[in-house]
Amino acid sequence: MIEIRGHARGGQGMVTAFEILAKIFSKIGDFQVQSFPAFGVERTGAPIQAFLRVSKCPILNRSNIYNPHLVVVFDETLIEQVPVLNGLKKDGAILLNTNSKIENFKIDTNNAYTVPATKISLEKGLGTKALPIVNAAMIGAIIKILKVDIDIATQIISENVPSKPKQNAESAKIAAEKIKRSPKNTDNLIQFLDSDEVIEEEILEVENEKEQLPIMDFPSWNNPMSINKTGNWRVLTPKYEERPAPCTTNCPAGTDVRLFVKQTSEGNFYEAFDTIYKFNPFASTCGRVCPHFCQQNCNRIELDSGLNIGAIERFLGDQGIVRKFYAEPIKYTKNIAVIGAGPAGLTAALRLRQRGYEVTVFEALPYAGGMMRTGIPEFRLPQEILDKEIQAIEQQGVIIKLNSKVTVNDLEKDYDIIISAVGSHKSSKMKIPGEELSTDGIKFLREFKLETNNYSVVEGDEVAIIGGGNTAIDVARTTLRLGAKPTIYYRRSKNEMPAIPHEVEEAIDEGVQIKFLTTPVSYNKNGNGKIDITFIDMKLGEPDESGRKRPVKIEGSEKVMSVDKVFSAIGQSFDEYVFSGNNIAPKQGRIEFNSDKPVFCCGDMAWGGTVTEAIGSGNHVADEVYSYLRNIEYQEEQNPTNVVLPDDINYNYYLPTPRHDNPVVELKSFTGNFDEVVKGLTKEEVIEESQRCLHCGDCYSCGNCYNYCPDAAVHIDEQNRLRIDYDYCKGCGICFNECPCSAISLKMDEVENE
Amino acid sequence: MSEKVTESTSEKVLEKYPRHYQKVLKGNYAASEGAALCHATVIPAYPITPQTSIIEELSARVAANKLDATFINMDSEHSVFAAAMGAALTGERVFTATSGQGLFYAHELLHAIAHFRLPIVICNVGRPSIPWNIWSDQSDSISQRDTGWIQLYGESSQEVLDGIIQSYKISEELNLPVMMVLDAFYQSHTSENIWVPDADLVDEYLLPKKLNGSEIDVKNPKSFGGLVSPDNYGNFNHGYWKDVIKVEDLTNKIGEEFKEHFGRDYGAIEAVNINKGTKQILVTLSTITTTARGVIKSHPEVGLLKIRLFKPFPRKSIVELFSKVKVNKDKCKIITIDRNFLGDSEGALMQEMKRALYGERYKLQGIYAGLGGRDVPPTTIENIIETCKTNNDEIIWIDS
Ligand code: SF4
Ligand code: SF4
Ligand code: SF4
Repeated sequence: MIEIRGHARGGQGMVTAFEILAKIFSKIGDFQVQSFPAFGVERTGAPIQAFLRVSKCPILNRSNIYNPHLVVVFDETLIEQVPVLNGLKKDGAILLNTNSKIENFKIDTNNAYTVPATKISLEKGLGTKALPIVNAAMIGAIIKILKVDIDIATQIISENVPSKPKQNAESAKIAAEKIKRSPKNTDNLIQFLDSDEVIEEEILEVENEKEQLPIMDFPSWNNPMSINKTGNWRVLTPKYEERPAPCTTNCPAGTDVRLFVKQTSEGNFYEAFDTIYKFNPFASTCGRVCPHFCQQNCNRIELDSGLNIGAIERFLGDQGIVRKFYAEPIKYTKNIAVIGAGPAGLTAALRLRQRGYEVTVFEALPYAGGMMRTGIPEFRLPQEILDKEIQAIEQQGVIIKLNSKVTVNDLEKDYDIIISAVGSHKSSKMKIPGEELSTDGIKFLREFKLETNNYSVVEGDEVAIIGGGNTAIDVARTTLRLGAKPTIYYRRSKNEMPAIPHEVEEAIDEGVQIKFLTTPVSYNKNGNGKIDITFIDMKLGEPDESGRKRPVKIEGSEKVMSVDKVFSAIGQSFDEYVFSGNNIAPKQGRIEFNSDKPVFCCGDMAWGGTVTEAIGSGNHVADEVYSYLRNIEYQEEQNPTNVVLPDDINYNYYLPTPRHDNPVVELKSFTGNFDEVVKGLTKEEVIEESQRCLHCGDCYSCGNCYNYCPDAAVHIDEQNRLRIDYDYCKGCGICFNECPCSAISLKMDEVENE
Repeated sequence: MSEKVTESTSEKVLEKYPRHYQKVLKGNYAASEGAALCHATVIPAYPITPQTSIIEELSARVAANKLDATFINMDSEHSVFAAAMGAALTGERVFTATSGQGLFYAHELLHAIAHFRLPIVICNVGRPSIPWNIWSDQSDSISQRDTGWIQLYGESSQEVLDGIIQSYKISEELNLPVMMVLDAFYQSHTSENIWVPDADLVDEYLLPKKLNGSEIDVKNPKSFGGLVSPDNYGNFNHGYWKDVIKVEDLTNKIGEEFKEHFGRDYGAIEAVNINKGTKQILVTLSTITTTARGVIKSHPEVGLLKIRLFKPFPRKSIVELFSKVKVNKDKCKIITIDRNFLGDSEGALMQEMKRALYGERYKLQGIYAGLGGRDVPPTTIENIIETCKTNNDEIIWIDS
C-alpha cells in the first residue's frame, strides 16, 4: 500500500485531484483506493490536507495519514506555514509545486521532485493569479512519479474535472513532462504501490521546529480570537468604497441628489439647499417642472416606489431661495456676454460671475426667464417663484439687460467672450395646406402669460391641438381654463409621447381629450367661422432614428372634423437672428463662428429640451469658458461607471414605506382658475420622504458589516470610522453581501491596514 | 462536482458481482446513488455540512431529468421533515438527508413521522452539537434513538448504498422510518471503490411502493393526526411495539435475501474473530470498525463485534452469538468504543450492551474515543487493547 498526503489551500482543487487520482488507480490496476480531505473551519485560501491510499488488498484503516510515502505540496508558500514533512517515511519523497529550484527550499530530505504547476495551469487559463487551480497539473506530476499511463490518466481527468476538460488534460500532460527529480533523489515509491503488504518503514527525522505544531490548528474556547489571524486565508478583499447613485448620475444638472436627500433627512435644509444650488440655481422651478430624471431610475422603485425627489427639491428651493445672496468680488478683467436669460444663459452667467468675471445677460423680451417664463403656464409655475430665483442671481452680481435683442456681432467689440443661449422659441411648421389657419402654440403660451392675449378662445370653443409634447399639453390645459373643450391629436401612441407622463395624466384628469395615431393633412375654412381639419389615421411602423416607432399613414382613412381653433405644437427651433441670419448648426460649447471673439453655445439650442438639461448645459459651458480663459485644458465629463443598480441593493434591509405624493388640486371645473395645480409637501412629509432613501453606494452606518463580520475584523477607529482589520479579514464576503447599499467592494486586490 | 451515472471509465464489470459496475464514490454520493436507485419520488431538503453533497447530487440529477422526483428546497430542517411527512402521507417514497443541528431541529417531527407510521428513509451524517463542531460524532443520531426510528450504521460507501436499498424494504414492510447513519468525512467525504448495482437489478428487488389504503386521498377525505383519548392511546403504542420487535429478525432476513440477490451479506450485527478463546471483543459502529479490523489482524485473541442495526438494539443476535461460540464470561472483556457522549456515565454502546447482556455476567468496559471527529488511527485501537489488558475501570477516556 502507498500512502500519499497532500497540502494545499482551499480552492486550489486538491480534494478533486485526490478523488481523480483514486479513480485513476481503480481503473488502471484493480487497486483498492481511498481518498478524503481533512477540512478545518476555513474556506478558500486556508491550508487544508487530503489523503490517498492505494493498495492491492482491502484498506483496513480509515484514519488520517501520519506517515506518508509521498507528500505533495500544492502551494510552495505552505512550506513556511505548515509542517508538511511531518512523519514522512524515510524512503518517502516530497513533490513541490514551484517554479524555482529545489535548492531554494530548506527541506530535510533529498528525495524531492518539483513541478511548475502554477505556471502550467495559468498558461492553460485555469484559475487566477491569486488562486490558480493546479489540480490537473499536480495529478500529472504524481502519476509520472508512480509511472502511470498518462493517456488513461488524462482521459479520466477530462471526464471528472468540473470545467475546461481539455485544458486540464493538457496541463496534466505538460506537468508529466516538466516534473524534475532532484539529483540526489533515491526514492523508489513504485515498490510500495506494488507490494501487497503494508511495509513497515522508518520515519524521516525532521529537524524542523514546526514539527511540534498540530497538523490542523483551531482557535479553541476561552482563547482570545486575536490569536487566529485569519487574514492569511483571504483571496478576495472587501473595502469601503463609495459608488455613484443613479439619482445623481441621472441628473442633467449634475446635482448630488443622494447628498441633498441625506442632508434633508437629517433636517439640514439649508445645507441641502446649498448642495443643490452648487449645481442648480432653479431648485424651486425644477422641483416643479423637471421630469425628475433622478427619480426615473431610483433604486427604490424595485422595493415599492421611487423617492419623490422632486417634492424634496421643491421644498428646499422654496425654503432656501428667500435667504440673502451676495456678489463675489470681480477678480478678472475679461468680461462676458450671454445672449438669452433662460435657464442655460442665467446658469452659465451665474457660474462665471461666481468665479470672478463680470457677466452681462442680454434678453430680447421684457422679462427674464426664457422658456420658464414664456412656455410654462402659471398653474404649473407661479411667476413669483421664478422671480425670486432670478433676483437671487442678480443679487450675486449678474447684470440682466432686458428688451435687448442682439446678435453675436453686435457684442463682439465690447465683450471678450460671447455665449449664445437663445433657446428654441420658434415653432416648427407642418407644411400642409391651410397651415396659416392654425395658431402657433408656443407663441400663444407666451402671449397669454405675458400679455393676457387669449387669441379669442371663448367658453365652449372646440379646440384642436396638434402635437404630443409638453407644449401641446400646456396649450390644452390653458384653453381648458379659458372654458374651451380641448382635444390633443398625436400621430403616435401614448408610449411615444414626449410630454412628461404625470403632466399627461393631470391633463386627462382635468378633462383634456387625447386622440392618438392621427394627424392633420389639411386645414380649410368652412364658411361658418369654423376650421375643417382633415385627419388621416396612422399606424406604427419600424423604429426611426430616435428609437420611437415611425408613424405611417393609413391611406383612405381620411375624415373631417370642424373646430373653432387649431393650435400647432409640433416642435421648436432656435431663432437664427442671433447669428445675424448665418446658417450655423449650434452645438454645446465652443462653436465655429466668424467673429473676433470666441463664441460658445448652450441650452435648448444646443441640446436637451428641458429646464434641467439647459441648466446642466449652462454649467458645462461655464466650465469650458472658464478653462478657456484660465488656459486650462477642458475635460468633458466622463460617463459614470460602477453606478449602483438594483442588483447591488440588499432590499431585505429596507422596510416598504409608502411614498409621499404631491397633493393635486381636483376641481369640477378649471375655467378661470390659474392657480398652481400641484401642491408641495409639508416639512414633516419631506423629512419622511427623504428618509426613504436607500443611500445607494454611500455608507449610512447601518452597522451590518460590523455586526456580521464572523472574524470581528470590522471595528470603529478613533475617528469614529468603520475600518476593516486585514490581519483578520478572511475575505468571506459577508459584509459585502450584507451591506444594504453596496458601500463595500469585494475585489481581488490586496490592501494594507492603515 | 456531480457524478455521472454512466461514465465510460467506470464500467468495469467483473465476475465478482454480475450486473454491477465498479466505481469510486464517496459515502455521500453512495447515499445519493442509493436514493436514486430506489426511485425516491419526493426529496425535501435543506443543506448542512457534512451531508450537503448528498442532496446537492440529488438536486443535480432531478434538474438534469435523470431522476424523476420532486425536489423541494425548504427553509429549515423542521420544514424538511414536515414536508417529508406530508409527502409520505400521500404515499410517496420519500428521501432526505441531514446532520447534527438539522436533526436536532427536526426532533419533534421525527416523533411524529415514526408514530404516524410513515415509511421514510433518510441519511444522517453524524456531527455533534456544542462545543461547535462539524466533524464525525454520533451524538446527534443516537440522541434521537427514542423517537421511534430504526437506525442502521454503515461502515463503507458500499454499506451506505446497500443499506438504503434494504432500508426501504424494512421501512415499507413495517411502516416505520429508517435512518441510515454515516460518519462525517471519514465516510461521507471518502472516495473509495464501490459496486453499484444495475438499476433493473434493484428494480427486481425493491418493487414500487405499495399503497396500504391509509394514505391521504382527496376523493376520500379523512382526518389525520387527531386527538387520541387516554383509553386508546396505549393501543397505538402497543401496535407500534408489536412491529418494532420484529425489526431485528426482519433486518437479518432481508440481509439474507439481499445476499441472494446482490451477492453481499448483511445482518443486524457482524462478528469477526469471536470464539471461545477470545480475550477482548471490541464493539464498534461505522468507520472505527474498519480500522479495528486492520488492527486485530495482529491480535488473534481480540475479536470484533460490529453493530449495524443500532435501534432497535439487536439484543437477540448478540446473546445468541455469544452463547453459540461460547464466549468465556470470566476471561473475555467486552469493550465498547463510543464516539458519542450523551451526558451520562456510559456512552450509548455501553448502555445498550449492558441492556442486551442483562443478567449474563459478562465483563464490560466502556471506552470514549473519536469524539467530535478526533481521528481514531490504528495506534489508538492498539492503545485500547493494551490499556484494557490491565486497567479495569468501567469507563475510560482513551485520548484525554
Ligand atoms: S434610493 Fe436614494 S440614493 Fe438610491 S437612487 Fe433613490 S434617491 Fe438616489
Ligand atoms: S465579513 Fe469580515 S471577514 Fe468577511 S470579508 Fe467582511 S471584513 Fe472580511
Ligand atoms: S454595511 Fe452598513 S455600516 Fe457597513 S458599509 Fe454598508 S451601510 Fe455602511
